[in-house]
Amino acid sequence: MIRQAFSDLFERLGSTSRRGIRPATLRESSLRSRIMPTPIPRELILSLQHYPDTSAKDVSSMKPCVEVGEWVAKYQLIAREKGPNATRLHAPTSGTVQAIEEIPPAVNGQRARLAIRLLTDTDERELPLEPPSDYRSLAPEQMIQLIEDAGICGMGGAGFPTATKVRDALEKGVKTLIINGVECEPYISCDEALIRERADLTVQGAELLQAACLADDCVIVIDNAMPAARQALKEKLQGSAIKLQVVRRRYPAGDERQLVKAVCRREVPNDGHPTDIGVLVQNIGTAVAVYEAIVHAKPCISRIVTLTGSALLTPKNFDAPIGTPVQHLLNLCGVNENQHEFTIRGGSMMGQYLMDQAAPIEKTTNCIIASNNAEIPEREAEQACIRCGYCEQACPAQLQPQRLLASIRNEEWQDTVELGLDDCIECGACAVVCPSRIPLVSYFRAGKEIHNEDHSAQRQSRHWQERFQFHQYRIKKNQEKARSAKVAAQSAGEEQGFSRDQARMEISAAVERVRRRREALARETGHGEEKS
Amino acid sequence: MMKQRLASSSPMQFFPLQTSQIMLLVILATLPAMLVATWFFGYGVILNVLFATLVGVLCEATISRIRGRSVRATLADNSCLVTAVLFGMTIPPGTSWWLIVMGMVFAIALVKHAYGGLGQNTFNPAMAGYLFLLLAYPLDMTSWHLPAAAMNFNSASSPLGWQGFLQSLGCLFPFLPLLGDSLTVDGLAMATPLIESKLAAGNAIKAALEEGTGLFARSSETGWELINFAWLLGGLFLLVTRLISWHIPLSMIASTLIMSLLYYSPSAVAVLGTPYLHLFGSATMMGAFFIATDPVSAATGSRAKIAYGIIIGVSLYSIRVWGSYLDAVAIAVLFGNFCAPLLDRLLAPRKYGHPGLFSKLLGDITTGKSSP
Repeated sequence: MIRQAFSDLFERLGSTSRRGIRPATLRESSLRSRIMPTPIPRELILSLQHYPDTSAKDVSSMKPCVEVGEWVAKYQLIAREKGPNATRLHAPTSGTVQAIEEIPPAVNGQRARLAIRLLTDTDERELPLEPPSDYRSLAPEQMIQLIEDAGICGMGGAGFPTATKVRDALEKGVKTLIINGVECEPYISCDEALIRERADLTVQGAELLQAACLADDCVIVIDNAMPAARQALKEKLQGSAIKLQVVRRRYPAGDERQLVKAVCRREVPNDGHPTDIGVLVQNIGTAVAVYEAIVHAKPCISRIVTLTGSALLTPKNFDAPIGTPVQHLLNLCGVNENQHEFTIRGGSMMGQYLMDQAAPIEKTTNCIIASNNAEIPEREAEQACIRCGYCEQACPAQLQPQRLLASIRNEEWQDTVELGLDDCIECGACAVVCPSRIPLVSYFRAGKEIHNEDHSAQRQSRHWQERFQFHQYRIKKNQEKARSAKVAAQSAGEEQGFSRDQARMEISAAVERVRRRREALARETGHGEEKS
Repeated sequence: MMKQRLASSSPMQFFPLQTSQIMLLVILATLPAMLVATWFFGYGVILNVLFATLVGVLCEATISRIRGRSVRATLADNSCLVTAVLFGMTIPPGTSWWLIVMGMVFAIALVKHAYGGLGQNTFNPAMAGYLFLLLAYPLDMTSWHLPAAAMNFNSASSPLGWQGFLQSLGCLFPFLPLLGDSLTVDGLAMATPLIESKLAAGNAIKAALEEGTGLFARSSETGWELINFAWLLGGLFLLVTRLISWHIPLSMIASTLIMSLLYYSPSAVAVLGTPYLHLFGSATMMGAFFIATDPVSAATGSRAKIAYGIIIGVSLYSIRVWGSYLDAVAIAVLFGNFCAPLLDRLLAPRKYGHPGLFSKLLGDITTGKSSP
């Protein structure tokens, strides 16, 4: 107890508690109109790759359970998850399966993936839903099953299956459930729009999630740049046990680990999850989807997407069916073609440039920005790092990006690990503040990839390394054997007493013998010397 | 164009300032001090700065050519302009041109580019260049050749007049036939802004204060104070615009102040100086806001910056009072530069989610086993 207090005190000294950056909010334009229901497009493209940017070699993480040419009803299950990290997929409307084929990657770095092309009809015939008779009396496990059946995943962007996460929390036991309504990206307003217009569903969804994971308290967290949403939530929260917390707007305040620190004043261990310290974090959009899944048994077939950017005539939020092509939504907003130079999927901080306008909206797509160079200028040329330390002040993971950069450039992988490359959350705050315009976060992503490749190569080569080490060991042992034999021979020689002095004496003795023999010979021959 | 865009990745938005613009803003922040120095010492200050800039740019261009780098890109970061301005303001006005050439070439070629160019240099180029001259030519670095009008306070003519300009130019380029019989220059051996009170500048300032000399009356003694206030003004501009953080200036000034308060005794003012003198009687303000905060050679983290400032502040006072070197700020800053990489390593921020040093130690003590 005292130890904890002391270490807390000492760790807070000197470490800036509020890191990150504060970009301007650009949400106003897309919040001018209400959330718009989307007219069903002619064709829906339902990607079977759940993780949008996974580097997995498989082209799909879901297995289709419909066939080409088959007619499907709205809400019908059309694909099941292959592994624990995927969710199931339902038909957002009725229609005919036109094809199950590979579609081109939507963003840079993505691989081709499998998708179901659904030719929609105008009937919208739906399967009858079977909502539980009294959802309030459901056991946590039953609720989680409903969430799993509905195919809900994290709506914030990471897209982790909600059922898996809640089940993990239920098993470990959580104290606090945090509902994340903080939007720190400058452009994205889908969460704020959702709270403004569906605050009651948000609150009920939060209550259901709390019941499903048996958390002691539940906190809905929003940021201080959304007063209308705050007002709406306050009204709906009257008489509820759920608390509302407003945090200062800052990027990346909406990151899971940052949020846990802001709410619980504790940090998530670097090698663990929030559930390890008794916290579960769920996005606000997920809470609404959970409400639909448990109360109405309605699968997740649509989501709120922000369409914004200066190239759009009327930016707004859409309630879009999963699989809607981006182009369809852009057309609904009205595109000023002269000003439309590129499209971004996701926010301007963590998003990516969209390569294909026909790419579909997925369960994790929260924002589409149609923009141009005047609004979002290209990054200027990279200059030398002057070690200004702005990145260190901005890094929410409290790393030293400037030192990490140097160690990655020098390929000193041991250093990068010590400097916390694996702790980098890739938020890009460092790259935003860098006055030398160094794409730091790109270096870190590349560093992680290279480092991981090295690791797998290491694992593969471990066998050979061991063989090699044994080989080395054998050579060394043989050498030692030879050396010890040599030493033994040497010491044997020393025992014989062979030394330089002795040799000298022997030599001089031999010389003496020769001299004496010569003298004796001379005496025998008499005057031999005179003769010669 | 579109292809480039697609290949680049997030983030897509940036804070407006770039390195080259930061450098220009730093130069802008030196303007008050440059103006005040010119007011007191004539055009020599500005001529120094301009000539040093010329030499610096030529040197930087030549060396980046030799290193096979784009001359335009190297010059575009404006860092050699900052070096030249700070160097030009550190050396006494009236210094001969060849000294400036030597100092700037030393600063740019050896201190900066030999270490790998901008961002790689361990030492502050301007200070290293100045210190090189100070050690090699101590006499020239402590002699001030000023226009006659700047020396004689009661003179009717101003050093900012035409004659003063010719005299300053003549000092810089002695081979020009400018210093005729009518245009005499006064030489004065005295403390430079960076040379300290133990060389009796303290008494001179004290006398000036007691005699109640008008604030802007041209006197080399009150001049130091006003130049320091001008540096402080420029420094506050850097702080307000958040180009520098408060850590280094504050810890450096505070530690200098604390040291001078600790050792202050009214009977030994001539030797130990007053706290006021230590802060405003010499180059402390310039050092705290413009020299020690040079990002390349300073520490980067908040904690490391504070330690760095304290090291400079304490060694600054120690060198002034007990040391035998002519200059304190330059040596103290270079000493701090030595420590900066180590400070960055030792005082690195605790990574999010990792145990801190203290709880690691406590964990060792209480559990008896080493933490992972």
